[in-house]
Amino acid sequence: MKLEYVLFGFGILFCLAGVGYLAAEYVKNLSEIGKLVSLLMTVAMFAFLSKYFEDIGW
Amino acid sequence: MATKRRNLYLYLTLLCFFGLIAIFIVDGYMGVYDTVYVTAGEREQKIESDVWLREDKFWSSGVNRGEKAFFRYEVDNRRFSGYTADIEASLWRSQEKVRDLISQPLAIDAFGKGQLEWVIDTTELVPSDAPPEQSYEYTVIIKREQLERDVIIYINPAPYPLKVVPAPPRVD
Repeated sequence: MKLEYVLFGFGILFCLAGVGYLAAEYVKNLSEIGKLVSLLMTVAMFAFLSKYFEDIGW
Repeated sequence: MATKRRNLYLYLTLLCFFGLIAIFIVDGYMGVYDTVYVTAGEREQKIESDVWLREDKFWSSGVNRGEKAFFRYEVDNRRFSGYTADIEASLWRSQEKVRDLISQPLAIDAFGKGQLEWVIDTTELVPSDAPPEQSYEYTVIIKREQLERDVIIYINPAPYPLKVVPAPPRVD
């Protein structure tokens, strides 16, 4: 069970690093609607992730 | 039931994540992007296409009188198809065209880059009888399809020559 959490942690870190890299490199080229949708999806992603962790008992 | 709901949250999280990646690739990376490089003196300035989204014109650093400004216009085609466009660059001052700098088609393969180069010689722009303390501004207008990129070139005033003041005669 603990190994699962460690793997989850790594997965989340890699996901954040990937999105962070893309954001730093290409956010300047996004259109206005692209920026808005990206923002909404980021918020939704963290909200769903929080709910998932809440459900598994974190 | 609880496991199903838990998995649903995980799938929605993954959906948002891959959606974000897709938006960045399709909207942020794919497309045609242009970059202007201006080299004056020993300094090169890089003007990326997002600069023109924030402001109408870009102020380049000054060019010393008598020197040249080297322009490189690079078009990056990040699409699955080739790209062809007519590129026109001209020099303007006080809303009047001074001269054409370049005008030629540019064909670029898919995910390739193409570039055009031209030079602006300030000795041809500044009148010979211009006072040394006067500076000049010109606008380089680059047109690609409906897009227009404006770069303001500032020609620095000439430095004053050193005046040699004769030493006063000694009075013994």
